[in-house]
Amino acid sequence: MMNGNTVLSSRVRLARNFEDLPFDTADHPDHATMCIARTANALKLSGADRGFEFFRLQDMTQDRMQAMKEHHLISKDLMAHTDAAAVLIDFKNTLAIMMNEEDHLRIQAVTEGMSLRKAADRVFMVEDALSRQVNFAFDSQLGYLTACPTNTGTGMRASLLMHLPMLTRCKQMGDVGQIVAKVGLNIRGVYGEGSEALGNLYQVSNQVTLGRTEQENIATVEAVAQQLTEMENALREKTLLEHPAELEDTIYRAWGTMKYARLMPLPEFFRVWSDVRLGAAMGLVHVQPRLLDTLLEDMQDACLRDDAEAYLTGAALNEERAKRIRAILGE
Amino acid sequence: MLCEECRQKEATYTISVLVGDEVTTRHLCADCMAKMNMDLQNGDIKTLLSSILTAITGGAEEKTAPVPEIVCPRCQMTLSRFNKTGRLGCPKCYEAFREQLQPMLLRIHGRVTHAGRKPLDTQEAQQLRTRQEELTRQMEAAVAREDFETAALLRDQLRQLAREEDD
Repeated sequence: MMNGNTVLSSRVRLARNFEDLPFDTADHPDHATMCIARTANALKLSGADRGFEFFRLQDMTQDRMQAMKEHHLISKDLMAHTDAAAVLIDFKNTLAIMMNEEDHLRIQAVTEGMSLRKAADRVFMVEDALSRQVNFAFDSQLGYLTACPTNTGTGMRASLLMHLPMLTRCKQMGDVGQIVAKVGLNIRGVYGEGSEALGNLYQVSNQVTLGRTEQENIATVEAVAQQLTEMENALREKTLLEHPAELEDTIYRAWGTMKYARLMPLPEFFRVWSDVRLGAAMGLVHVQPRLLDTLLEDMQDACLRDDAEAYLTGAALNEERAKRIRAILGE
Repeated sequence: MLCEECRQKEATYTISVLVGDEVTTRHLCADCMAKMNMDLQNGDIKTLLSSILTAITGGAEEKTAPVPEIVCPRCQMTLSRFNKTGRLGCPKCYEAFREQLQPMLLRIHGRVTHAGRKPLDTQEAQQLRTRQEELTRQMEAAVAREDFETAALLRDQLRQLAREEDD
């Protein structure tokens, strides 16, 4: 249960390419069409297509697309070529097959908490189903071949979404980054530009894809996450012991803002969300951490607009956000 | 590619540093590049004397000795274009640029030989895998209920299957 306090979700994505097509299908409409048709067909033949819904990005509104990205179902790179791109998404919104991304296929699964093996099993199941019908580019020495050499080998990226507010507050993230890099992993802020990490949310993932098996990478990412969780929890306990009033004040102020604010700009939402999530994990605020995790995605700009079916901006958007948060938390 | 300085951000700058007669190439992110520029402006004489900086963004060519051009026979991707974009043209490029790719892959991953999943190319291989997965599950279940005798039997069967796979 300790991990649930810091690890929000697990994500595994697999890059695969058809052996007979050039990587960049966005510039060749014929290739792009072929890539989509083959994938949809192979999935159908395998019998695994039930439960998937097919979308072409060109048929979607900008907000719908952005909302899918905010839910981590599609990537920014997929949105870069809307003409060619398509995606198959399962009805539970946890499994996605992106077509005509940087690679022909990006198969991705998202699961709750620290459960990379579960996410990996899901993407491998899809891959197995597809690979019975099609040939993926593979080299006996280099493994699966991808458009960018950074993905060559397993083509797998296993990542955990982590909430590390105390490590951030105690300015430990620089050191953490260096330690993590030494074991072939990468840690970066999920939201916000440059070095800032809005909401103190980080993604820990494997950097190396060649020469290490999928299982090894998953084990390394989880071991490092376990280590970070212990460091974070130690700091949480220390702060509660040494500065209880300051810590509680920060958390309860954020809780008050979240429950009663009438206008909630996104940067402020990230700030109070982080404090409340910390309070919930420490048992100071009585709200389910998982409810807050859902809130995190649902309260992003495009998700709000898409759900409200209105192009809200500025104060109207901030008002809508505050209103929904209050409704969900029960004022 | 990751920045060689901080090893955290994507490298967007390629700089050539001249030390004596030797030119070395380094890949840096915007932040580290800015920091390096700052060091230069602050008059870090040692750095100034020993290095000549050529900051290159995006499309500009790198000033190094000309390399003979290699073209992928299938997709016509050239080596110089790949060096610029970092993206290969097609699976065949890996063969065409193999020599140049090896040091790059070694730099990124620290290794050059794949370990992990392989395509299920034959019906037999698929059946073998399914059987292995089934046996592994049974073995784990046996271990969980502390039935080590059964677990050992299943382990032997798995080893036998692994040998068959190697043949």
